[in-house]
Amino acid sequence: MNTPGVYTVCIVLPMSIGHALLGLLESGPRHGYDLKRAYDERFGQDRPLHYGQVYSTLSRLLKNGLVTEAGVEAGEGPERKRYAITDAGVTDVERWLSTPEKPEPYLQNTLYAKVVLALLSGRSATEVLDTQRAAHLATMRELTRRKVDGDLADQLICDFALFHLEADLRWLELTAARVDQLAEEVTR
Amino acid sequence: MSLLRAEGLTKSFGKTHALEGAGITIRAGEVVAVMGPSGSGKSTLLHCLAGILPPDSGTVHYGDRELTAMNDGERSELRRTEFGFVFQFGQLVPELTCLENVALPLRLSGMKRKDAERAARDWLGRLEVDGVADQRPGETSGGQGQRVAVARALVTGPKVIFADEPTGALDSLNGERVMHLLTTAARETGAAVVLVTHEPRVAAYSDREVVVRDGRSRDVEFAR
Amino acid sequence: MKRVISDLALGVRLAVGGSRKSWARLALQGVGIGLGVALLLFAASLPSVIDARTDRQAAREIVAEGNGPAPLLAEHQSHAFRSDYATGYYLKALTPDAPVPPGIDRVPGDGEIFLSPALARLLDSPRGELLRPRFPQKVVGTISQAGLQNPNELTFYAGSADIREDDNAVHGWGVARQGGGMHPVLWLLSVVGLVVLLFPVLVFVGVATRLAAAQRDRRLAALRLVGAAASRVRLIASGESLAGALAGLVVGFGIFFGVRPFVDRISINELSAFPSEVMPTPALTLTVIVAVPVLAVVTSLLAMRRTIIEPLGVVRDQKPVRRRVWWRLVPVVAGVALLVSQIGKITQTEKPNQWPVVFGIVLLMLGIPVLLPWLVERVVFLMKGRTPALQLAVRWLQLDSGTAARVVGGVAVVLAGTVTLQMMLAGVEQEVQAKEKKQAAFHYLSVKPRQGADTNGIAAALEKGRGVTALHRVEQAWGQLDSGGYVTLNIAPCAALTKQATIPNCTDGKAYSVRESTGLPAAQAGDVVTFRHSGERWTVPAVEVIEGTGSIPGLLITPAAARGLVPFGTEVFVELDPAVPDAAEHARNAMAGYSWQVYSYFGGQDDTDEAERVFGVVRRALLAGSLLTLLVAAASLLVVALEQVRERRRPLAVMAASGVPRGTLARSLLWQNAVPLAISTAVSLATGIGLGVLVIRVIGAEVAFDWAGIGLITGIVVGLTFAVTALTLPSLRRATGALGLRTE
Repeated sequence: MNTPGVYTVCIVLPMSIGHALLGLLESGPRHGYDLKRAYDERFGQDRPLHYGQVYSTLSRLLKNGLVTEAGVEAGEGPERKRYAITDAGVTDVERWLSTPEKPEPYLQNTLYAKVVLALLSGRSATEVLDTQRAAHLATMRELTRRKVDGDLADQLICDFALFHLEADLRWLELTAARVDQLAEEVTR
Repeated sequence: MSLLRAEGLTKSFGKTHALEGAGITIRAGEVVAVMGPSGSGKSTLLHCLAGILPPDSGTVHYGDRELTAMNDGERSELRRTEFGFVFQFGQLVPELTCLENVALPLRLSGMKRKDAERAARDWLGRLEVDGVADQRPGETSGGQGQRVAVARALVTGPKVIFADEPTGALDSLNGERVMHLLTTAARETGAAVVLVTHEPRVAAYSDREVVVRDGRSRDVEFAR
Repeated sequence: MKRVISDLALGVRLAVGGSRKSWARLALQGVGIGLGVALLLFAASLPSVIDARTDRQAAREIVAEGNGPAPLLAEHQSHAFRSDYATGYYLKALTPDAPVPPGIDRVPGDGEIFLSPALARLLDSPRGELLRPRFPQKVVGTISQAGLQNPNELTFYAGSADIREDDNAVHGWGVARQGGGMHPVLWLLSVVGLVVLLFPVLVFVGVATRLAAAQRDRRLAALRLVGAAASRVRLIASGESLAGALAGLVVGFGIFFGVRPFVDRISINELSAFPSEVMPTPALTLTVIVAVPVLAVVTSLLAMRRTIIEPLGVVRDQKPVRRRVWWRLVPVVAGVALLVSQIGKITQTEKPNQWPVVFGIVLLMLGIPVLLPWLVERVVFLMKGRTPALQLAVRWLQLDSGTAARVVGGVAVVLAGTVTLQMMLAGVEQEVQAKEKKQAAFHYLSVKPRQGADTNGIAAALEKGRGVTALHRVEQAWGQLDSGGYVTLNIAPCAALTKQATIPNCTDGKAYSVRESTGLPAAQAGDVVTFRHSGERWTVPAVEVIEGTGSIPGLLITPAAARGLVPFGTEVFVELDPAVPDAAEHARNAMAGYSWQVYSYFGGQDDTDEAERVFGVVRRALLAGSLLTLLVAAASLLVVALEQVRERRRPLAVMAASGVPRGTLARSLLWQNAVPLAISTAVSLATGIGLGVLVIRVIGAEVAFDWAGIGLITGIVVGLTFAVTALTLPSLRRATGALGLRTE
């Protein structure tokens, strides 16, 4: 069980770009450039990917056997190379989606990506959210227990974490309630 | 062993389908949070579980007795003796003093007034509201009123306490106090608690949660 | 000014509201106030009815003096028929222009008769069969309203050629009205009746304006909370009450004009009236129109003072302030003191100073609704809920006993008034019955031929009558004692005398003096009697005092003791066979030929029990009246109960959810209605009986209790309690039903 410590507010966890690209590839083989565009469109609102990041990630995935090259289109330059997801890659995406993120504040990026990718790949986004909720609540229970047994300082610190986790959970609820609407939007 | 078990519950109010095949299992002494967005059927599930509402179909078992097969009188009796209830608001009889409110279920079961009120006073003390014993509910604060309600729910020594948004009308501090007192007292007496809430921090007082969505429940431990 | 009107209008709109519930409330208020208004209008019509009646009565009085020879002869006659009397004139016109009495168009000729509509109906009906032989004349017309005192009067004008000119001269019809010569006790009885009747109406109007007041209080408190000034809230509240009062006025006038055409069907003559003359006097009408809305507004403003002062008092269920008792006791104490001070002051002859009595009664009646809220509060406060149901009821009443007390306050006044009237009736009835019982031992017809009539012929005719077993002739004389009192002398043999009175060992030569109701004998030995007809004086011999059990008053003298006495008249006592039904009527018919020359009086058990007939009607009317009021009060209690269930929907639903049996909740509702009603019934019975005793003492009559009536009223109250509760149950069922917990 993860025991949450004191969180520092400024952390923004880097989202797993690899899993995101794999997820995007599940709907069919794409060029590297396509992938970058799709990623930016859905997840990269304020921080678009560099080409370099895309190619270094793809080559890592290639090396691990999660993607394969699916032919090259005639044209100018190396970026016309198409990539496809392998069975190992699909399994990896599945594992990623069904493993809740460690309940920490500021998870939205990753969670959002997971929900969208689950929807894109026709998996149950609700399940992703419920799994995450269970993990969050487990953490909150632990915090609540500590708070009830602890002194005032403990209580204040725990409450801080609890309120943030609660905000996450609220967001999860909201997202879960609007999953159908979101599905319509992402698969359009 | 399960204390309370519901399977395949459906319930409609006119054209609104509140429950569409919900199920849940409650073990003795555990605190279960029933979560879900508003309108998902949480309260209806609780009402069916407690035998307040008869479901359109499906069964509810309390131990080895089938609640859904009982008549109104039997269910009333069961609710009075085996269950306790805490609601969001408006549950205390405004004309009776807090002490009389807590003593009421005991007196209905035939206990003498004096004994009933002694037991009631004891419970008010455990919930730290013995100061308002002789006031009417209208003269107490919201938090005090809810604690009186918790005392009333616990006074008969019930096996299950049904709490429907018990902190819904309270601020966080008062809400958490009520939750702490409720769960502590329930654990001490071995009562199970079915806690309907949409607040994660309140749900965090539970041992596990069941999510209700669109009239179907997702019991994480006893899926389907 | 504009704002005042707009505030009033807002109030009216709140009252009318548009929702079905507010219309129902307005309708209930309308009916409640309307009933009161209708009663007030009838009461306001009494002066015109009595006026018109007195006028008509004066118009048919005979003018006996005039110049020259009289143009018309008239003999007044009362034909007794069972318990009724057909009273009229036998006329003989001496000139063609003889004065015609009011109500007919000509003086009837010999063998002709004009009948009043009621007498015509009676003669036509099978019931009047035995009366027909006494009216053999040819009916030539009907007496119109101008000649009738009331629509049910049995009267006639018959033509008869036999009338002699002696002292029956008529020079004209109609005399100046005389001032009211009502018997003081009768007068007092009517005042008590009116006060008892009208006072509850006023109280009830007050209650009716407060129907569903709790809801309105909340509404107005909300207005106050959002910042309406106290004065504006008062205006708005006045507007609401006005709406109810105006609706009540409309309904009241509707009821009045709806019922008016039927007032001539009332079977008690004194109460029946011609519809056209039942018209409230303008001044009193105006008073009603102004007073009802004013009363409505004032009562609602008074009741609202707490809400206006502390708007939160209604919104939060705070413990109400304790009521103070001392000023509530003032009216009761003052009323009792006034009545007690009058005991023994009213006698049969003196005109009493009626105001202390009237004020006493009014104060005592006023005391009930004033004292009741305090009493309900105290009783409820002292009550400990032995069962949970009773505890719930008692606690609710402790929190808001005012509403219930107000509603039952109206009931209490009506009940107290009813009980008082019932007692007074029972007292009078008992006397009448006692008299009838005494007479029942002597079954006879007393026949008094007029002066100059053919006594022997009459006696001969009577002997042939069916059911006649014996005839006794009693010679009579009337005189004045030196002490001022009057005395009747009856001279007859013992055989006749013992039939008329209980005389132990009657022997010829003795004289008997009947003990009067004062306890003193009619005359004592040595008293000197001066005869009226002759002016002669006669000294009463030794007399034996006998109890007044028979029918003859005064002195009973055997022929041997009556030496030197010249009798003036003769009375024939006709002994009747009790086995022959209507023997008295047969005997009267036997002497029908002597129509106006004989006056007869039946002593004995009547076939149609007079007491039962008259008092039965009065009692039924009283019962119907109180039942009606109780029904309206029950309706308002129902409104209060329904509103309370609605108000407490949430706690009720939660209690049902927590397993409180519905029966417990229903019983608590029953207690809630029963406790205030029981208190008010006890208070009203106590007040009614106390007031009855006091008033009866004041008029110096026997105290009697009408336990059957009291029991009946109490039974009705209990029944209504159950009925109201039963009617509340469906809404309780709805509140505690499966959907009660769902908030929307």
